[in-house]
Amino acid sequence: MSIEITMPRLSDTMERGTIIKWHVAEGDEVTAGDVLADVETDKATMEMQSFDDGVVAGIKVPEGQAVDVGTVCAILSEDDDAAAGDQTQPTAAEPAQPAPAPETTPSHVEVIEAAAVRTSAGGSGRPDLRITPVARRLAEAHGVDPATLQGTGPSGRITKKDVLAAAETTQEVAAAVPPSAAPADAVPVESPALAPIEQPGVPSTPVSAGGQLALHDDDRREPVSGMRQTIARRLVQSKQEIPHYQVAMSFDMDALVELRSRLNSELAEYEVKLSMNDLIVRACALAMARNPLMNASWDTDAIVYHNRVHMGVAVALPEERGGGLVVPVIHDADRRSLRSISAQTRALAAKARDRGLSPEDMEGATFTVSNLGMFGVDDFTAIINPPNSAILAVGATLQKPVVRDGELAVGWVMKATLSNDHRVVDGATAARWLNTLKELIEHPSAILV
Amino acid sequence: MTMAQNPTEPARDAESARNAGQSPGNERPPAPVADARGQQPAAPAPLTTTPDSAVLLKWLRDMMLIREFEVRSMQAYQNKLAGGFLHVYNGQEAVAVGCIGATQHHDPIVTAYRDHGHALARGMDPKVGMAELFGRIGGCAKGKGGSMHFFDANNHMYGGHGIVGAQTPLGAGLAFATKYRDEVIDERANDAVSLCFLGDGAINQGAFHEALNLAELLDLPVIFIIENNGYSMGTATARGTAGASDLRKKAVGYDMAACRIDGMDVLSVWRSMKPLVDWCRSESRPALVDMQCYRFKGHSMSDPRKYRTHDEEKHWEAEDPIGRLARQLVSAGAVSQDELKVMGKAVRSEIREAVDWAKASPEPPIEELYHDVYTDVWGPYTGTSLPEFMRRRASDREQR
Amino acid sequence: MTRAIEFRDALREAMSDEMRRDKRVFLLGEEVAQYDGAYKVSRGMLEEFGPRRIVDTPISESGFSGMAIGAAMMGLRPIVEFMSWSFSLVAADPILNNAPKMLYMSGGQLGVPIVFRGNDGAGGQLGSTHSWCVESLYANVPGLKMIIPSTPHDAKGLLTAAIRDDNPVFCLESERMLSLTGDVPEASYEIPIGEAVIRRPGSDCTIVSFGRPVHFCLEAAEALVAEGIECEVIDGRSIKPLDINTIAESVRRTNYCVVVDQSWSFASVGSEVAAEVHRVCFDDLDNHVHRVHSDDVPAPYAHNLEQEMLPNARKICEAVRACTYNA
Repeated sequence: MSIEITMPRLSDTMERGTIIKWHVAEGDEVTAGDVLADVETDKATMEMQSFDDGVVAGIKVPEGQAVDVGTVCAILSEDDDAAAGDQTQPTAAEPAQPAPAPETTPSHVEVIEAAAVRTSAGGSGRPDLRITPVARRLAEAHGVDPATLQGTGPSGRITKKDVLAAAETTQEVAAAVPPSAAPADAVPVESPALAPIEQPGVPSTPVSAGGQLALHDDDRREPVSGMRQTIARRLVQSKQEIPHYQVAMSFDMDALVELRSRLNSELAEYEVKLSMNDLIVRACALAMARNPLMNASWDTDAIVYHNRVHMGVAVALPEERGGGLVVPVIHDADRRSLRSISAQTRALAAKARDRGLSPEDMEGATFTVSNLGMFGVDDFTAIINPPNSAILAVGATLQKPVVRDGELAVGWVMKATLSNDHRVVDGATAARWLNTLKELIEHPSAILV
Repeated sequence: MTMAQNPTEPARDAESARNAGQSPGNERPPAPVADARGQQPAAPAPLTTTPDSAVLLKWLRDMMLIREFEVRSMQAYQNKLAGGFLHVYNGQEAVAVGCIGATQHHDPIVTAYRDHGHALARGMDPKVGMAELFGRIGGCAKGKGGSMHFFDANNHMYGGHGIVGAQTPLGAGLAFATKYRDEVIDERANDAVSLCFLGDGAINQGAFHEALNLAELLDLPVIFIIENNGYSMGTATARGTAGASDLRKKAVGYDMAACRIDGMDVLSVWRSMKPLVDWCRSESRPALVDMQCYRFKGHSMSDPRKYRTHDEEKHWEAEDPIGRLARQLVSAGAVSQDELKVMGKAVRSEIREAVDWAKASPEPPIEELYHDVYTDVWGPYTGTSLPEFMRRRASDREQR
Repeated sequence: MTRAIEFRDALREAMSDEMRRDKRVFLLGEEVAQYDGAYKVSRGMLEEFGPRRIVDTPISESGFSGMAIGAAMMGLRPIVEFMSWSFSLVAADPILNNAPKMLYMSGGQLGVPIVFRGNDGAGGQLGSTHSWCVESLYANVPGLKMIIPSTPHDAKGLLTAAIRDDNPVFCLESERMLSLTGDVPEASYEIPIGEAVIRRPGSDCTIVSFGRPVHFCLEAAEALVAEGIECEVIDGRSIKPLDINTIAESVRRTNYCVVVDQSWSFASVGSEVAAEVHRVCFDDLDNHVHRVHSDDVPAPYAHNLEQEMLPNARKICEAVRACTYNA
């Protein structure tokens, strides 16, 4: 049986060794403990000793040559006597055990990578925005957009205090997105008791030639509320990003006015009091259901078609409470009865005025109706409320001269303008939708069922 | 006021300092002495008897087993099966075997990092020792101690300790505990002696002197055995130790019994240690031993031994305690050459099995990393303080 | 029955109760027996338990600490009194290298059930060598537990738990608190190691502290009421394990955290708490954790300098104001 003599590791740091001198030659007998060679290590010249008895059968590494630890340097053949009863495997030939890969390493790497991912994810936000972690969390919960806030902390850091102050002045903001215009009932006399409406998105501040704000002595500078900042930011974004175009149409409202009047008088004892807006919202919802191509949203590289119809209804807030507007949402408006839509709109409007809407009240609109008829506005355009693809601007229902069966007559007329996102909705689609709406409004039996 | 006591006038040399210290001009009254004994007791005289040849043969086999274990340890180290530092016991086998042969099994022992021999002499299975060297779960410390930290509680072996001299107060503590257990808790006579092994390099550590002082003050039944192999690592004893000519002198200042023993002859070791152990047990007193021996190999595996000559090594190898006892037994007719060969083969076979067993033992599972830090398995490593990878494993296990 | 006793009496009651209960428990240290305790913590114990269990040692911290550890390896339950933790530095090897690692190094065979206790922190104009706050230095080592009571009630309950614990426990007391009086039950009781307590509830800022500075925190909290800041003061009570859950629960409510730690700031208990709070409460913080430590200088002798160097109510108030943006 032969035993391989390998380059020993003679110090804790040794990786290679050089045979300086062989003390044995082929054919020499050696006994365990004999010095076979001098080996130069990284630290010193050391002795390579034999662990077994035997005869040197071969020298594999010449003097002066450096080899890795574990390299076979010589072969020892065991004499029979030593071999008998000693079945020692050539332990020297045992391949050096590979350093066990510490199991902790992958875990650590994993952690580091996970951290890196988190970091880069976090870094994709707004690098210029300095906001404390809890302020960021609170802003999200209260629907305050941190980008609209001026931080009072060091270096403009937005703190919890800043967010809470903004949230307090604009309780209603939350996650909702302001619409382009506020609604009102088409018929001023019976419109819901909503406060006057202002139209956002129209700059009224004097702007100097250089684009710099020129401030005069008698000007009053009032910091904007969080809601106002949200309105400003979202509508600028909408106007800048969405390729708007408008399609307008006039509606013969005689049938609808007559229907509403009849229903309200017949159902008064059931406390049913429908507004013109309720009827229009219901009609729009049905039109959406019949034209699903309109009930859609742009999503960068895809168009999302919504299965359900949720109608946003712009509601103005009283000026004495700071003004502004919110958009409560009537969910599944196409599947609700007129009475349900009416009650829901009334309840949400009251809630908005009294204590503010919750985020759920303002989530998920797929289309928005804005109505300025109460101010006698007969015609206007609205800015789309992202992620909607369209918004209907409803003017006042007014008595006007109309041509009916070739005869000049007096009839109730309403003009409505549909703003569309051209990325999603083409002109013909918009026209088809308006025609569906016209059909529903002018022949309103379908609205009832 | 003498020169020696005046810090502004240091003594010119040691001689004058000694004279000054004994100067009759020092008129300070003697300090009150709590322990009025005030004398160094004499160590008991060595025995002249010889144990049965069966006992001697067992000692021979024990020494051969230690030698073979160390040879294969070195081989394993060179083959990278064993890592870290490796300090082998070749040449000093008679010390461990003779000293431990003079004790009872319940007598605690503790030593430094050159600890394989003591553990094996105390009865540790070479399999678990070898597995510890290989860093395997089957090791005596589950692969968490390594060569320098062999522990075997069942055999009353309280470690392998890596810091030079650190085990000497521990040795005093083992004796404190057995004495307290016997005398205070069980209310009976002291019935244990602790053996605390140390190298000659440890005697210059403060801990050694503090341990001797405490042991004598508190009458602790502990024997500090200086395995005086002539070198503190690579520094000859006299180069590192004042008063190296006779290490028994280290006990004088503590009024502690001391003796010198030829550590290359297991019979001598036993003959001196047996009465000393008995005396420490019955008197409940400590003692110091200057155990003269020789380390055949270097301090550790990376030691080229340039600080000593081949002639010196050859001289001591002729004193090999294994060969010495074997020759005595053969000449006394207690064993034949053939029987010795058979014994050698059996020992080689036992260690080979230990190597194979250790190789087959798995590496410790990664959970072991966090076991035994505290007595409760996870200790305070709960909730957030547990590293993520351990939390995952902990929850995986709970799910299983 | 509860009655008011001094901190030192509470410590003694814990030790005496346990020594009556368990014969394996004994006390050793400098001046613990004949002298009746350098700070009278062990007063009267020699008389009750005798010299075999109340063991006077020479001034030899390394030796007697190591000896006690050896005894604990054999199953005894020593209480080692350091006159001052400052003197434990010469025993660093046994208390850091042996006691907390023995169980691990022996693969679970030999634990070290031992308590090291003594005065930690500035005693009052003792200069730097005697004014060590060892908590940050020692808490770095795995395998040990560390308690730091701030009231007589906690002192008795925590020390009782420590003596019954199977692991090495470092109990950090303060010379300046030994005469502090408080209500302590007569019966024996344990306060679990690793559980913090809210000393004072508040909604505006969480102050976390350990040991003697807890009292400075309470002082600061009262002063800040006038400024409309209500602080919640958490007494950690244990440093290792650290009760991060109680701290985090509070910080999630207040969004601000100030840590007051009497050791130096670099790699300290305070920096550990801060790091943990940042990790666990990241999304709940409105400012980074502010820290109050002893100044990063050796403890001076002069009274005014020493007072300025240590954490005090003024520094804590400043930190709370800065942290809560009220500076």
